[in-house]
Amino acid sequence: MSDKKKEFYGKDLLGNDLTADEQELVELYTRLKSLSARQDLPPVATANVKQAMVMIWNACNDLALLNEEPGCD
Amino acid sequence: MTVSESPYWNPKTETLPKDQLRALQLTKLQSLVEYAWNRSPFHRRLYEKAGVTPDQIKTLDDIHRLPFMTREDWMACQAEQPLFGDMTTRPEEDAIRYHLTSGTSGRQPLRVLDGRKDWSWIADMWCYGFWGFGIRPSDKVFFAFSYGSFIGFWGAHYCCEKMGTLTLASGNMTTEQRVKQIVEMGVTVVCATPTYALRMGQAAEKMGIDLKKDGKVRRVVVSGEPAGSIPAVKQMIEEMWGGKCGDTAGMTEIGTIMIFECDHQPGGPHIIEDHFIEEVLDPDTAKPMNYGQRGERVVTSFGRGFIPLIRYKTKDLVCKAPHTLCRCGRTGDIYEGGILGRVDDMKLIRGTNVYPRAVEAVVREHSEVEEFQIIISRRDDVQDEITVKVELKPEEKDVWPRLQAKLGKDLADAHEGLRFNVELAAQGELPRFELKAKRLQDLRPQY
Repeated sequence: MSDKKKEFYGKDLLGNDLTADEQELVELYTRLKSLSARQDLPPVATANVKQAMVMIWNACNDLALLNEEPGCD
Repeated sequence: MTVSESPYWNPKTETLPKDQLRALQLTKLQSLVEYAWNRSPFHRRLYEKAGVTPDQIKTLDDIHRLPFMTREDWMACQAEQPLFGDMTTRPEEDAIRYHLTSGTSGRQPLRVLDGRKDWSWIADMWCYGFWGFGIRPSDKVFFAFSYGSFIGFWGAHYCCEKMGTLTLASGNMTTEQRVKQIVEMGVTVVCATPTYALRMGQAAEKMGIDLKKDGKVRRVVVSGEPAGSIPAVKQMIEEMWGGKCGDTAGMTEIGTIMIFECDHQPGGPHIIEDHFIEEVLDPDTAKPMNYGQRGERVVTSFGRGFIPLIRYKTKDLVCKAPHTLCRCGRTGDIYEGGILGRVDDMKLIRGTNVYPRAVEAVVREHSEVEEFQIIISRRDDVQDEITVKVELKPEEKDVWPRLQAKLGKDLADAHEGLRFNVELAAQGELPRFELKAKRLQDLRPQY
């Protein structure tokens, strides 16, 4: 990923500032999480957004960017 | 560097300096214990009984305050409150997968549930292993696996889809059909138990197929049996297939693998330490063992949310070595020789400890052997006897009297002089296995 974003607003689990790429991943996850919680979307959108959210969560979790309860969807 | 050139699936945490790795583990442990306390009545009960609360976990050493979780606890919990006990943290309708333990030990299988994130994480742990062993999106990966309720290679299949390999499932195929497809499709990676990798190789020989010449396999990933780290077994597999053989190990209770051999193969698999805490303890006293000392694996997993796994006594026998044993750059420590056996696998024969894995290591030194079985019996209600029945490759019949004597000597030398009976089995007499092999029969009366 590119190094386009220079402003940091979060830290990873090790206390390091998020890189621009990491920040992008967290932002993406946050948006997908919020979208996947909606009840008013058609099943095709809800199910696939949930899948996408889970995949991005996996990247964020492995990169130690999030401190969420392990089982929550 | 392009994506495929990275030697690590997750360069950031696989190469973390130890102090940072420990800090990460502590943060995850604190979060996990609090989660289990709040969501799992089973864990709350366990911790209240031990007088420990989540806020007491201030350092990594505080993990020792937490009581162990055992398979017996798990079974009792599920027996008291079928089907899943009260250790699940979420309602059953949130689960997307249901699996059972393999039942190798002959006891009631454990039932497990996984949510979406759990399942994705399970696949990801396999990605650590597959990527670390040099498997890339351009590979064609074949799973010699039955795709049933046993979790086995399920996670690895999804790992391959995630990585983008061409993924071949073979659930309903015969051994011969599998061999044929592996050659026909130009498969580059084969996944199987070590026993079954050998069996497919033997079947190929009988079919007149030379896998080294006719096939394109460059990696054989094995799992499910301690034999995957026995050098003689790996050598046999590599000679049959013409590709490098790498061991992995996991368990249904975790849902995935926690160790894998990297491409450098330093003599054992790396622990995925950013997702697991692996303690090695004296099985009797629970005292932590040092590097180089054998002990029981006790695992804490940060990944599975549906059923928290904290300080689970696995009964696996291991010996930890520092990560510096390997030059791959990963900072996860190594289990030298892989899973060495089971703490409860040990058999006492006339005062000598015998582990089935150690017997297999000796037997597999002899490439003339096609299959074998260990039988323990009691003679005249007094004397224990151990017999190794050996089935030879059809073309190796002539070696018998010499091999019988040599095997008897090698087995005795490896077991403080204990006398082993070595007997010849007829062709096709001994059972063959697709999943976990059960080669030990203890026929002694159980009191």
